[in-house]
Amino acid sequence: MATVAERVKAVTARVLRVPPEDIRPEHSFTEDLGAESVQSIELVAMFEEEFGIEMDEDAALSVETVGAAVKFITNVCKEQGVDVEE
Amino acid sequence: MRLILFDRGTEFREHFFPLTLSRPLWELRCGITSLGEKLQARTGIGDAACFLPDYLAATYRTRTKCPVNEVSALTGDDLFLVDARVKADSFDVPAGGAGEVGLNEQGEILYARVTQADAKKLSHDNFEAFLDAAKANLPHVNCGLATWNYTWDLILANPAQLVADYAAAGRHGIEGAIEQPNAIRGSKKDVYVAPGVTIHPMVVIDAEHGPVYIDEGAEIHPFTRIEGPCYIGKKSILLGAKCREGNSIGPVCRVGGELEESIIQGYSNKYHDGFIGHSYVGEWVNLGALTTNSDLKNDYSTVSVMLDGKHAIDTGSPKVGALIGDHAKTSIGTLFNTGSCIGAMAIIMATGKPLPKTIPSFAWFVEGLVTKGFGRSTLYETAAMAMSRRGRQWTEAEQAMWDAIFEITAPMRKEAIQKSRRAMMAK
Repeated sequence: MATVAERVKAVTARVLRVPPEDIRPEHSFTEDLGAESVQSIELVAMFEEEFGIEMDEDAALSVETVGAAVKFITNVCKEQGVDVEE
Repeated sequence: MRLILFDRGTEFREHFFPLTLSRPLWELRCGITSLGEKLQARTGIGDAACFLPDYLAATYRTRTKCPVNEVSALTGDDLFLVDARVKADSFDVPAGGAGEVGLNEQGEILYARVTQADAKKLSHDNFEAFLDAAKANLPHVNCGLATWNYTWDLILANPAQLVADYAAAGRHGIEGAIEQPNAIRGSKKDVYVAPGVTIHPMVVIDAEHGPVYIDEGAEIHPFTRIEGPCYIGKKSILLGAKCREGNSIGPVCRVGGELEESIIQGYSNKYHDGFIGHSYVGEWVNLGALTTNSDLKNDYSTVSVMLDGKHAIDTGSPKVGALIGDHAKTSIGTLFNTGSCIGAMAIIMATGKPLPKTIPSFAWFVEGLVTKGFGRSTLYETAAMAMSRRGRQWTEAEQAMWDAIFEITAPMRKEAIQKSRRAMMAK
């Protein structure tokens, strides 16, 4: 199974149309990867679908970087009893 | 004698969603006044109390002087209990007399006359228990009372109700300021301009086919044409509007563009061009420029509405526009299909083509898909800001009510989001 970081990177690449190899943990979704507000909504939706979780929108949308998203999603998965590869 | 208005938390009130998500049924408008005001006027009873679903009570207490969900209101006087869905105009049951319970064909209580002596024998544990006890202990009358059954009943009855309410109000004449040149067509007896109204030059009031009532503090800007029957609410502003026949505009609205046979509850903005017809718009709604709804299908067949997003209800009318819940916001260029139902707190971003007929409450419609968007707290912040701009406060009670509405509407929203997600994944 791919790790959370790999899956987050894959979803981000697909939604923001960025090559996966160009995405780094310290990258900001908006400033470095060019996510517009509408794409932020799509990212949250696609992360939920990818991991089978439900995220609080306010908390999820306050996550700024790819690395922070990996941590946030890992925690949500643990809280909601979803097995993931860290 | 005390009038008790009630809106029971039954499935029936869903027929009036999204408008009754945030208010009791009797607060809905038709004609010049609300359904509750009409029932109170019809029964002639000054003393009133009311019962409504618990989640609405705290907020509603801040908007009314009458006791809300207070069981003590069921003692100390003869009672005349009336379901808010009863049409006042045809309600011919005398308030006084021996105790009795009027039932519809489904056996639901539409009214109950309960004397003080009868009331002492009935359960006062809660309102539902009181009604059940009244039904069990008092004689039944199978009444054929006319009732409001769906929101579009109010829209379709609005023109005739405006005429009736104007006659009942018994006012006419010009008490506000009219700057010349202006034109008033029709009989001057069919025009009432209340004190504090300002009508700018180049306004046409056409009362030839029905009366026009412009309430206190309203302001009518140049190049507005108001066609009767019509009611313009207190402190509302019309901005070069093409205000066609049959409109009821509540207080503190901003209305431009074209409006026809529609009801706006109050505190809403339709500032710019765009057509809204045969629609009911809630409070604190903002319709972006060029927002337009269809109210007539190309084949002239009757319009259906999907209140729950799944089951189409035939309205029986070839003309029904959109039902728009409180705090809904549309972007520029939004196009609503015939018979659309737009949930409360919904955010709509136009797609350039007509939207799905049903968009759930609290949904963000973005890029053609129903999403969770930026979430509830963003909506609350916007709502608080919109209210403060009109001198109203977003209170803790208000937020608690909307939290409850969020839960009530969650199943429908989740289903719509899942449907959109499947479409998104398939792209």
